[in-house]
Amino acid sequence: MNLLRDILAHRELLQNLVARDIKSRYKGSALGFLWSILNPLFMAVIYIFFLRLLAGRGVPHEDVIIGVFAWQFTVQCVTGGMTCITGNSNLVKKVYFPRVLLPISVVVANLINFLLTLAVQLVLVAVLLAMKGSHLAGWTAALPAIIVYHSLFNLSLALLVAAANVYFRDTQHLVGLLLSAWFFVSPVMYNLSFVEKFAGPALTPAYLLNPVALIITAYRAAQVPGALFPWSWSAAGAWVWPLALLVLAWRIFQRAQRNFADWL
Amino acid sequence: MNAIEANHLGKAYRKGGIGPPTLFGTLSRTLRGRRHEEFWALQDVSFAVESGRTVGVIGPNGSGKSSLLGLVAGTITPTRGTVRTEGRLSSLLELGAGFHPDLSGRENVFLNAALLGIAREDVRRRYDHIVAFAGLSEFMDMPVKHYSSGMYVRLGFAVATELNPDVLLVDEVLAVGDIAFQLKCLDRIRDFQRRGKTLLLVSHALQTVEEFCHEAFLLYHGKMVARGDPPDVILAYMTSYMGEGGYLYRQEFGTREVEFTQVTLRGADEAESATFTTGRPVHVDVGYRAKQRIESPVFGFSIKTGNGLYVFGSNTQMAKTPVPFIEGEGVIRLTLDPLTLKGGNFFLSLSIHSPDHATQYHRREDWYPFVVKDPTETPGLFALHSAWRMLPGPQREL
Repeated sequence: MNLLRDILAHRELLQNLVARDIKSRYKGSALGFLWSILNPLFMAVIYIFFLRLLAGRGVPHEDVIIGVFAWQFTVQCVTGGMTCITGNSNLVKKVYFPRVLLPISVVVANLINFLLTLAVQLVLVAVLLAMKGSHLAGWTAALPAIIVYHSLFNLSLALLVAAANVYFRDTQHLVGLLLSAWFFVSPVMYNLSFVEKFAGPALTPAYLLNPVALIITAYRAAQVPGALFPWSWSAAGAWVWPLALLVLAWRIFQRAQRNFADWL
Repeated sequence: MNAIEANHLGKAYRKGGIGPPTLFGTLSRTLRGRRHEEFWALQDVSFAVESGRTVGVIGPNGSGKSSLLGLVAGTITPTRGTVRTEGRLSSLLELGAGFHPDLSGRENVFLNAALLGIAREDVRRRYDHIVAFAGLSEFMDMPVKHYSSGMYVRLGFAVATELNPDVLLVDEVLAVGDIAFQLKCLDRIRDFQRRGKTLLLVSHALQTVEEFCHEAFLLYHGKMVARGDPPDVILAYMTSYMGEGGYLYRQEFGTREVEFTQVTLRGADEAESATFTTGRPVHVDVGYRAKQRIESPVFGFSIKTGNGLYVFGSNTQMAKTPVPFIEGEGVIRLTLDPLTLKGGNFFLSLSIHSPDHATQYHRREDWYPFVVKDPTETPGLFALHSAWRMLPGPQREL
């Protein structure tokens, strides 16, 4: 596959780009990497507090925490992907290398970041579960597979917004709006049983066509006992279409990258 | 074997549309069925560069030089035609293009090298060498945002030339840093040539093109209008394209009580020419028209190299061949015999002024470009009469 060959041939450059991204991210900030954990943590605390206050519905805290950490990963890939070409215009115009390495490096850097926050998140969830007299589900072994899938999905988004932003600078504003809408339709601060209560179980398969819903639900099923994944044929289909999206995004990006230097 | 081959290469950009494109702008244009006007930065350019040769690309600003280099480098995609390169390619299109301001010099060396496709192992091995060449050993742990612009490009150049490319593209980056560093850069370029590398370089420094290149391409409005021996191409550039558009700092002034009319440069055979040979005579027939009788006018000339170095100047007063008076039209001949200039491009300036220099009747500065070709291989700007001779007496044993 082209994708793998490109990455392999330029793995040193990719390593360097990822290192650049990670090193420069927290340069000069006192708390450094801690911000990666503090951000989703504060978000989770705020949501839990206000959901209690306003809705009073019983979404378990651990579900919200899992949702917010996973959602942050996607958001960071999208926002990082958006500027990875336009923000490196000097590089793109003056040096030849496979352009696709830029969005890939954004996703990899965020993946590394996510893995580190995930360690903290696992501890948090384990503590929250222990307080209820429960423990982490045995499915945590499935986490790596979910993370890989999640990363690939994030990559397709990064590819699309990276290319789109070169051609239309409106993308950054539009994507900001879409992300907040997406946040609310995705089960970040609620969970699937909340959706089922609200819309009825018949709509669940359609709801899972949202890859973020699918991925977050999978993360929960892997960690929280009792939050089982609703397996069905249509859910299986929901797993497949984001992969087709990746292929499509890849193609679009490769077509678009030919004219990047002209538009920057 | 050809290291670079371009076939009917063309690159079009869209005219209009200031700033980055917007969704609304595109939609409204599409709805109104209006299309962008196209502007061809490069049109139907075909050439081949043999492996091991150095080719200079010259032309006024906006003639398509950088587009050509970008196309060869692969950073821009041709609209028409194809371009192919053989072997490993490295481009010095912009020094330190990939530097990240927050990272240290050291981190940036590795990042930049990776961008240029140099293996980490090679960089590690040659790291000290790179730092020594850039002369920045004390500053490698400092973030590059605190570097001076000179330090920045020096580090960029050091990294970019450390790799061992087969084809090197250079875009006007040799004039970086101070004189000492520029000399080091030029040495590097010579070193590349010695090792049989192919170079394609864009430069406004015509002297550099003349000195380094086996061949020169002249681009004008996106087309290749001349190619061949560098001095000839440079002359074509200077005579045909430089004056137009004010690319050349040539100027003309004076009271015009006396004016130059027809000025003709002639070679040894008296034929009009702009190309002369070292060691042979050159005649300049200077036509003038005096509107009234002018007492003891002084005719002067001076010669500069293509990059502005003043080589020589004299006048009828200094040469002790005074002109008592002029009236009406006439021709005065200046002869340089033998021409002691070595191969290169030069500018001739002419003047008519009063004996006390108080009144400049007519001056034409850098007005007449000409080329000198040197049949001998001796380097330099000027042929000095030189001879070698063993002094008599026994040689002592050591």
